[in-house]
Amino acid sequence: MVGRRLLCASILIGCFLFGIGAAQNPVVEMNLLSSTAYMLYSQDLMQGMGMDLKISLLSENSGNVRGEVAFRTTYNSLVPTPITSIDDVIYKAYLRARFPSFRLTAGKTRLSWGDGMLFNAADILYGSSSVSVDLTQAELRSKTDWMINVNYPLGFFSFAEAVFLPSMTGEAQDMGVGGRFYTNAGETKVEGGYLTKKETTRVHKLYTSLQGNIGPDWYLASSITIDQSNPSASDIQKSWLISGGLFHMQYLSGERNLSLRLEMLSRPFGTWKFESQSEASCALLLYPEVVYSPTSTLSFSLRAILSPLDFSTMLSAGASWSVFEGFALIANIAAPFGESGDLFNWDGASAAALTLGASWIY
Amino acid sequence: MSNRTRIITTTLLFLLIIPFNLSAITAEEIINTMDGMQTFDTSYSTGSIKTTDRFGVKESTFKAWSQGSSDSLIEFTSVAERGQKILRTKGSLYLFYPDAEELIRLQGAALRQSLLGSDLSYEDMTEEKNTLDDYTVRLDGSQIVNGHDCHVLTLTAKTRQVAYPIQKIWVDKETYLVWKAAYSTAQGRLLKEMEVLDTIVVDGRTLPKQTKIEDKMKRDSSTIMALDTLEVNIPLDRKIFALENLTW
Repeated sequence: MVGRRLLCASILIGCFLFGIGAAQNPVVEMNLLSSTAYMLYSQDLMQGMGMDLKISLLSENSGNVRGEVAFRTTYNSLVPTPITSIDDVIYKAYLRARFPSFRLTAGKTRLSWGDGMLFNAADILYGSSSVSVDLTQAELRSKTDWMINVNYPLGFFSFAEAVFLPSMTGEAQDMGVGGRFYTNAGETKVEGGYLTKKETTRVHKLYTSLQGNIGPDWYLASSITIDQSNPSASDIQKSWLISGGLFHMQYLSGERNLSLRLEMLSRPFGTWKFESQSEASCALLLYPEVVYSPTSTLSFSLRAILSPLDFSTMLSAGASWSVFEGFALIANIAAPFGESGDLFNWDGASAAALTLGASWIY
Repeated sequence: MSNRTRIITTTLLFLLIIPFNLSAITAEEIINTMDGMQTFDTSYSTGSIKTTDRFGVKESTFKAWSQGSSDSLIEFTSVAERGQKILRTKGSLYLFYPDAEELIRLQGAALRQSLLGSDLSYEDMTEEKNTLDDYTVRLDGSQIVNGHDCHVLTLTAKTRQVAYPIQKIWVDKETYLVWKAAYSTAQGRLLKEMEVLDTIVVDGRTLPKQTKIEDKMKRDSSTIMALDTLEVNIPLDRKIFALENLTW
């Protein structure tokens, strides 16, 4: 009930501030899903409805100032998640101003550092190493955060940017600050960056990222985290992440095509043993993805997160049919496979789920 | 034959050949003139891409800026794609997705991906206009297309970096507008067909206003790209074609 009140309050505030009626084309994205889940551990068969709703109010893209407010809420009756603060429904709220030599962004938004659909060691802002993702979603990483960002162009295809992450606890020592440099060296994109922020303790993170094409597109990133209070060599070694990926699209006869993606995440000083793995120390993870499109409006996908050292996997198969403008029908089935204690398993709340639904953007 | 007769005969033959040489236009000259007619110092346009299939019409609207033969920027303004941008500069193609604040550099086979499910690819939408850099060309003769006398030319790719290994184009002899084109694989399998349905005259040049594109790999699908407005040789900030503007 509290969650519903907060959602209504957020939408009302949005209406008041930006005048939905007068807004220049608010965009609504709606996913309505029916889920059936089977939990092997408790042998329960459950059924419920889910919703992912986003309302975006974007200013006209002209002049030197622009902004956007977007509300987003996700609800699933099988796994109800309470909305505890208005921040939970504000997906984006930012202003952006273009000055003669730099650009300023302030508010809640997203910065994408590095490359990678699931695994991206360069994503030191939000972290893209977790396997707790919903493989049925088209976009696997979409977290936003409050920030002040200054982007300084260095020529046409290079820039430097600084980011300030304000403290969310009210204590000044909890703020974060960082920056990155982006350029192209020949046919290769090169990125490097630094961020310091408070996690459990203050940490300093460094990354480098490369992207290019050798037939397939390739990307590679590496990052380390240094604990300010205890900068031991072994902890730095354990924090070392390497991610990489290959992507290729193969055109078949007719209008059919096949896209192939393979990503990996490695912790070189993680647990290289053929035994049950934990997420924090798992030495190797793979993310293969195959998408087959027999027509331009229909696609079938097969995605998996593989933990090769304990032979466990999270598998998802899906279909999407873009029937009308902005409207698509979706079907997905996902299930973990592994033994008790493995990274993916049937313990506790793990379930196999069938999801059927529709999405619409208008 | 005396020397005098030889000189007279040679002179007469030479004089007869000169007019032919003066009037014969080469395939390369046609292509250069055609590219020149399609290229402006700068341009700004607005328009739409309407794709029709068995389930109806999907429409996307856009704004586009271009500079010279190789720089172009397209920004989509329709609801589902609002703010998505494509930047094409010499040798590079970048996409920007505002929702994810994600900047993607497209390379290789990904350039052939369908643009918003239409019969157009990213490559089609932002193609460079230096045809002779990538193709050798042969003049095959003349044909009447929609009442217009056209040169018929066959273009063969010099490299594997282009989307269409073979192009057959029908170029208006008067305006150098490409009224019709057929794009094929190196083995001659037809990939796409293009036909100009309506034209607009800007700055003394005839340009396509409405173009129909059919991807022959798709069943029951066609795309019409229409320009609503077109301004040429206008002052444009060079920075429009930079990453800073793409992510703005």
